[in-house]
Amino acid sequence: MKATLSVRETSYQAKSTSHEANGLNVPILTVSGRLDASTVSILERALIRTLLQGAQVVIVEMSGVTYISSSGLRILLSARRQARERGGDVLLSSLSSSVRDVLDMVGFTVLFSIYRSLDDAKRTLDRVD
Amino acid sequence: MAASRHLVVPAEPDQIVKLATFVAQAAADSGFDSLQINRIELAVDEACSNIIDHAYGGAKGIIRLEVEMVPHRKLTVILIDQGKPFDPDHIPDYSPRGSLDTIKVGGLGIHLMRQAMDDICYEFNVPGVGNRLTMTKRL
Repeated sequence: MKATLSVRETSYQAKSTSHEANGLNVPILTVSGRLDASTVSILERALIRTLLQGAQVVIVEMSGVTYISSSGLRILLSARRQARERGGDVLLSSLSSSVRDVLDMVGFTVLFSIYRSLDDAKRTLDRVD
Repeated sequence: MAASRHLVVPAEPDQIVKLATFVAQAAADSGFDSLQINRIELAVDEACSNIIDHAYGGAKGIIRLEVEMVPHRKLTVILIDQGKPFDPDHIPDYSPRGSLDTIKVGGLGIHLMRQAMDDICYEFNVPGVGNRLTMTKRL
């Protein structure tokens, strides 16, 4: 019996009506499985890669995450700190009730921007007048 | 009627999911809902991570998990190891009320265990046993 976790990367081109700039191109990491000490390095690598590639904002879509332990929480916090240092952010979307419960226990629901759905997260990145 | 189950595994990170799944099944059989089952599983996961990382510190050892079930009343989880005593009082308290810049992740696992379970009791160097952590969750 082994814990498994998968991370799929796609992206979202945020809408913009500005003539000066296009909308942000935002990586979306869709995470599925069990996020614990034995699997967390998979998400850590994906987050580091997207941030090193210059992403300002990253969305972590978590509807498929069935479980999260302190190892997963530490990585999310570390990634958000790195992104914020560069004026960016790590947004979380689509948390299951059990994952949200764990984030609640440690106060992360206040620290993070959390969206009910991926579409909700995308909409906040659009710059449409 | 009370019932008990036990499982003994090597103290290795990839065994944690086995222990967590074992206790989750016992919690489900005792009548806990999915949110509470997740909390019990989390407490066992964090406790076992501490045993592996701190009590054994990478050395070989075993973890014995005992589960005592009183269906529709309570579940007691006992974790036994023969590593160095890991006293959580020496770990700084985690405070969930910091900002992104100030929050410290030290003690995060212990904090989760205390939040997830109703009672937690550490006993160290118990003769003939070793270190014993007893955690109880009531329905």
